[in-house]
Amino acid sequence: MDLLAHLEAYVAAVDEASFSRAAERLGIAQPLLSRRIKTLEEHFDGQLFDRSRRQVTTTELGHLLLPYAQDVLDRAQRLGHVARSARQSAVHGVGVPADCGPAALARVIRAGAERGITFGVQELPPDEREAGLADTSLAYALVRVPPEHAALRVPLGLASAPPPAPEGACADRPEVRQRTRRRAIHLEDLRPPRGSGATRGRPAAVPLLTMIEDQVPFAQDRLRRAVARAGLPEGTVRPAGPMATALAEMLAGQVTLLCTEPFARRHGANWAPLGDASLHRGYDAGAARRRGDEANVPDWLAALLAAAVGAAATAPTTAPDAAGEDAPSRLAARG
Amino acid sequence: MSAAPANRPVCVADDVDLLDVAEAIAADWAALGVRGSFLARHIDTGEQLGFAVDEPVPLASVVKVPLALVALDRIAAGKLDAAQPVFVDPSTSSVGPTGLAAFRHPATVAVGDLLHLMLSVSDNAAADALLDLVPVVDVDARLRAWGCSGIRMRHRLNRMYECAAGAAGKDFSLALELAIRDDHSGRHTIETLDPEHANLGSAAALVDLLRRVWQDDIAHPEATAELRRLMGRQVFTQRLASELRADTLRLHGKTGTFLHLRHEIGVVEAAGGDRVAMAALTRSDRRANLAPDIDLAIGTSARHAFEALRR
Repeated sequence: MDLLAHLEAYVAAVDEASFSRAAERLGIAQPLLSRRIKTLEEHFDGQLFDRSRRQVTTTELGHLLLPYAQDVLDRAQRLGHVARSARQSAVHGVGVPADCGPAALARVIRAGAERGITFGVQELPPDEREAGLADTSLAYALVRVPPEHAALRVPLGLASAPPPAPEGACADRPEVRQRTRRRAIHLEDLRPPRGSGATRGRPAAVPLLTMIEDQVPFAQDRLRRAVARAGLPEGTVRPAGPMATALAEMLAGQVTLLCTEPFARRHGANWAPLGDASLHRGYDAGAARRRGDEANVPDWLAALLAAAVGAAATAPTTAPDAAGEDAPSRLAARG
Repeated sequence: MSAAPANRPVCVADDVDLLDVAEAIAADWAALGVRGSFLARHIDTGEQLGFAVDEPVPLASVVKVPLALVALDRIAAGKLDAAQPVFVDPSTSSVGPTGLAAFRHPATVAVGDLLHLMLSVSDNAAADALLDLVPVVDVDARLRAWGCSGIRMRHRLNRMYECAAGAAGKDFSLALELAIRDDHSGRHTIETLDPEHANLGSAAALVDLLRRVWQDDIAHPEATAELRRLMGRQVFTQRLASELRADTLRLHGKTGTFLHLRHEIGVVEAAGGDRVAMAALTRSDRRANLAPDIDLAIGTSARHAFEALRR
């Protein structure tokens, strides 16, 4: 027996002093209401209503039980309220990289609100996002993985100072020379050419700064190795430190910054992708396991996070390999 | 080797200007992440500059110079015939990227030409073919007898490949990784990088050897003359020679490259008569096969030293 539905029928019938009006108020058919009241009377083993007269009246038992029945219904209603507001106020932590666009993150928050879920978006470094999922302090997070295994791939490139705006811009020469394709940057192109300005010492390679998001051990190691193999000195790659300073140095043309295209564009920098896609970022959208359940990221959220992080629909990349190394003679004494 | 002194190496120089040059070179190397020793000495005035000159370093192919001197001395003494043909079979010869080591078909080469291949293109197979005729222990004993106490010959050239491949399989990156790691820990998984087992030399000992070769102060004069001629035939110019390429200058050099080691010893001769012997023995943490900036730094050092020392 659904006690609440039956109590509801009983209380309404007392209030309205009429089965038909009570049924109308509850939006159910009168025979159903009559049946419920009958079932309740059998349950309590006593008449709640006197049906012997033309006008239905409440019996003594019916009057006695009424406040208790009302109380049960009120409490049930409160229970429902509490459950609903608890659901709405529970904040679901979402761990994202520090360089996401604010507008894209706003779309994540809004989409959650539309579904009655409150998202607390947190900018965190990669290791803290992973730890947050593990200890369930985050409900969802973007986790760094090597790009060749990643569900989401985010091209990385070098941001550099934009060229100074030409005098009187090219308003009267609309796009005379349009680029037909965007050129990728190859690390070995960054070597300073020999013989130019070799008066005192050598011209140094322009430093390449990395953001906290890319200071993941495997990514760092890959980048350092690629830089060494491209013939650049160790010191070429260094951590960016405070972002405002790094951006200022980059916009002043003193350094280049390894970052995503949306990030570079937001700060008015030039950007070109790294040719070696194994140096790009890879992400999987992860959900915290709760009570041992395998948790999944809803598709709508995964899509919004992909957009926020600037994921591209690119072809799968492959891990860097030692192709072209003419082993075994490289292991021998050479020259 | 108690790892490279990470702090500043001890500079040696004969006057304050030369000391400045030595310190500038040491600073230049440190800025590039290069560790090691450097010594340049004017053969006739004896003036010199450098740093960490007595540190023993695995020699890689630089050891081919003392090996050549011992073999040439035997030839000069009539104990070995320069015209003697030697059969070299690629299936059993030593591994290497150049010369007979890179041959794919059997060849017969005279002893004198093995010497040429060994010094001009750093041919490992030619070097080990010579070591079949002049055993490693004899080379080492001859060096002792000549008083070259800072130079040790302990193994064949192919031993370097065997040890690297033994530790890392066919993986060059892994071998390089091991070499760099061991260099910091001092515990060597690649035996030919362990000073206890490697072919060793210090900058001071090597420069002294070059001085004696150029002044006919060692071995038979025919041997030293031929060694000078052959060292002038080296084809590699990326290191000591890189900033000394002019018709009026000549470098007689021998490079040595193995994993993270990048060496060269040689003598720069100017048309005006100045002769400067040099040794640049380097290690680095660069995880790359080629490091053109390190090679160029060695060349820049050689030029600065030569210009500072010439009369």
